Amino acid sequence: MNNIKFSKYLNLSHFRIVSFYCALVFVVIALFGLFSKNLALGLDFTGGYLTEFSTKNAVSQKEMTELLTSYLPENFKVTSADEGTHWSVQQADNLSSLKGKEWLADFALQSELTIIPQDAIYIGSQVGEELINQGGLALLTAIIVILMYLSFRFEWRLAAGAVIALFHDVLIVLGLFAWFGITFDLTILASLLAIIGYSLNDSIIVGDKIREIMKTNSDAKIDNIINKAIKSTLVRTMITSGTTLATIIAIWIFAGESLAGFSIALFTGVLVGTFSSIAISATVPQLLGLTADYYDKKEEDICQLP
Amino acid sequence: MMNSPIKQPYNYFKWQNLLILSSLLFLLVSALPNLYIDKVKFQLFPINPITQKITTIELKNLFDQHNISIDEILTTPVIVSITLDNKTDKNSVKQLLSSVYKDNYRIENSIINHMPSFLNSLNAKPIKLGLDLSGGVLFVLEVETKQALFDRLKNIALEIKTIAMEKRIRGVTVIQNNGNKQIDETNQNLIVKYPNSAIGKIDYLFNQIEESYPELAQRKDNSNQTILSFSSKKTAQFRQETMKQTLKTMRGRIEELGITEAVTLQQGKNHIRIELPGVNDPEEARRIIGATATLDFYQLAENSKAAGILRMADDNGRKLNLNSKVVFSGSNIKNARAGQDQMNMPLVNLTLDAIGGNKMSKFSKQNIGNTMVTVFSEFYRNTQDKMVKKSRIINVATIQQHLGSQFSITNMSSQQAAQELSLLLRAGSLTAPVTIVKQRTIEATLGINNINNGIKALSVGIGITLLFMVFWYRSLGVIANVALTLNLVSLLGLMSLLPGAVLTLPGIAGLVLTVGMAVDTNVLIFERIKEELKRGHKVQQAIEQGYKSAFSTILDANITTMITGIILFTIGNGPVKGFALILCLGILTSMFTGVFVSKILTNIVIRKNKTQLLGVNA
Repeated sequence: MNNIKFSKYLNLSHFRIVSFYCALVFVVIALFGLFSKNLALGLDFTGGYLTEFSTKNAVSQKEMTELLTSYLPENFKVTSADEGTHWSVQQADNLSSLKGKEWLADFALQSELTIIPQDAIYIGSQVGEELINQGGLALLTAIIVILMYLSFRFEWRLAAGAVIALFHDVLIVLGLFAWFGITFDLTILASLLAIIGYSLNDSIIVGDKIREIMKTNSDAKIDNIINKAIKSTLVRTMITSGTTLATIIAIWIFAGESLAGFSIALFTGVLVGTFSSIAISATVPQLLGLTADYYDKKEEDICQLP
Repeated sequence: MMNSPIKQPYNYFKWQNLLILSSLLFLLVSALPNLYIDKVKFQLFPINPITQKITTIELKNLFDQHNISIDEILTTPVIVSITLDNKTDKNSVKQLLSSVYKDNYRIENSIINHMPSFLNSLNAKPIKLGLDLSGGVLFVLEVETKQALFDRLKNIALEIKTIAMEKRIRGVTVIQNNGNKQIDETNQNLIVKYPNSAIGKIDYLFNQIEESYPELAQRKDNSNQTILSFSSKKTAQFRQETMKQTLKTMRGRIEELGITEAVTLQQGKNHIRIELPGVNDPEEARRIIGATATLDFYQLAENSKAAGILRMADDNGRKLNLNSKVVFSGSNIKNARAGQDQMNMPLVNLTLDAIGGNKMSKFSKQNIGNTMVTVFSEFYRNTQDKMVKKSRIINVATIQQHLGSQFSITNMSSQQAAQELSLLLRAGSLTAPVTIVKQRTIEATLGINNINNGIKALSVGIGITLLFMVFWYRSLGVIANVALTLNLVSLLGLMSLLPGAVLTLPGIAGLVLTVGMAVDTNVLIFERIKEELKRGHKVQQAIEQGYKSAFSTILDANITTMITGIILFTIGNGPVKGFALILCLGILTSMFTGVFVSKILTNIVIRKNKTQLLGVNA
């Protein structure tokens, strides 16, 4: 009996260490993709061309979108006003996008609509330069504050584990978008936010368990403590990830094109987040030299339930 | 409470429980208005009393042919009213009706809402929907970069005059061509003329100017005249900077209006495109966005030797001579809040940034007992469509003491004026005047199909989660599901309460995701309870212990996520800000329902003498 248990722990340790190095490889691949291929940034970030026209008769949004999809080579965003008679089409600024308003005449022929061209003008991005700088600064602040809070509540090595796992998750998702050339827009940026929340949540729950076992069981080997913590939180991890993934898959299948990128980002994020909470956030503290008797040396108050 | 033995019967009426119950009730009521959606109602009035009546069946057939779903059709001899199921069908119905009945009927449409009167009286409102779900208002602003360049040259001209006066270089005149004429911005320049007697000293002046304004090109026309101008590259650079600053200010103003999911971008060379979702009062938005107020602080001219005198009259008609060099301007204001003094008079409290604070400190120290004048300037277009700057003295005060970076403007006419001024000052002043050249109502970017699909996806997602919880945790799973549903409703309620919260399609997905993650709270607690049961605790003790020890884990996980959410909320804009808001609110409600509400539910449902829970015998 004891033997079986021992080998189980051994396997889990192996699995963790191997996965940790796999994760490192994935991060390198993701980084390579990010630097060599760059993110396919959407209209929100790059700006592009705005073409405005009006139609003689009211056209429904759906019809117009279908007509434009069959005509325009690139992704576009269409807005209607004045009860379906005034339209503005935004296209990203790249080689294949149709600039100016000359294409409208051709489009009118093909779609059999009476089109009165109006403005064709260059538009800037929704995300200003100062916002990108500010955003970088804010992320840095957020990471430092999280590190501080977790170091105060747990221990700096556990905190580092959680933050490294966080980096891993975000980088993998970004890498995926770079490798597959999926358009990265503000909605995807927002989904990264959810991934950050999810990743932290997972890491902290494992970390919390490690702390708890360390306190009651300070003479065991740290390797075994971490394995035990992972095993006792495994059911919870599976249920939470499972239900969340099921929801995301439902969104992916039913919500259609407008949320496809969003679901891809979240799906990968949650999957990778679950993996990294075991492979990274639990393993890093061990590699950084966390010892089982840490809490013996340092008496600390537990958070009390109000 | 921590270590109290759980022997006495459970008291359902503890004040904590009442507090939880009342806040839950409050959130539920706040979420109620979302059930009542606006519907479009068409009314047909016969033009001629002898017109043949339209029958209900006739209308029904007509709409069925065109695949339009109708909520209700009412026909009376004097009026026919049709209520639509979908707001988006409005245009097609309008076309259809006018093509068939235009000759005999007057067709009107209106938006109706069946919200009960008690909700109306509570002033409860549904969640605002984003641009993708319900459209909004589009403003296109023109930024007068030419005017900004003109103002800048005017300031330089003033500085040249001041240097000439200080260094006693006599006879120097500066001519600036009129910026309001239809003149190309690259042709704006300053012509400096000086007599022969000044030639010796004039080089010093131009060196000084070059030092302060290296971007200004100096071209000597003849021995008595030098032309100062910006190169076309510098002009373009200046225009870009002005646009960037104006965009930033506009984003600030929209944020001050409490709208999170707006789109603000540069359009063409000198236009700004703003799309605002869910604006009920376009006029208010128009006033704040289009306002070009700036605040400048001047001293009186008698106290200074500097050149250039500004003559202005204050509200009482008293003529004041101002030194036209500003002490500091609105761009140095870091924060402004409306408030009241001890006499309940409205005022605006200002906080200056480091530069402004230094200027103010230095100035007020040297000028105690002197007068400082606050001038409020606005740009507007006159009847000839020319940009005109209108300035008004709003405050004349004697400097009583050495002031720092904080002080206030008193004598505001009303609380509302104080509030509006503080809002404009907070949101930043504009270096270039702007005018609204286009205003338009825009429609939802996502069709009703997309929205329905989104809602379907979410129902399926939540459905799977709920089913799984019941399957896995049985009776406790039911409790978790009640808590989850309450969580979703509370979140909707909270979002309806906050004027800044806007719901978009990704937002809805985020909402469901928060719910998905809220499952976590319950799972953590139940797994804890299971553990405690396995350790041999009695059912009720295990529940108590399970909730208690899971709470610290939940708290840690949520606080960390909350930190990220709050930081991203404060810096982000657009969808990021909206998403961060939903995330933060979701954490709050999931803690509230997942821990506190489900604790009460568990205590009510699980009997004390229960011996078996979660498949574990106690």
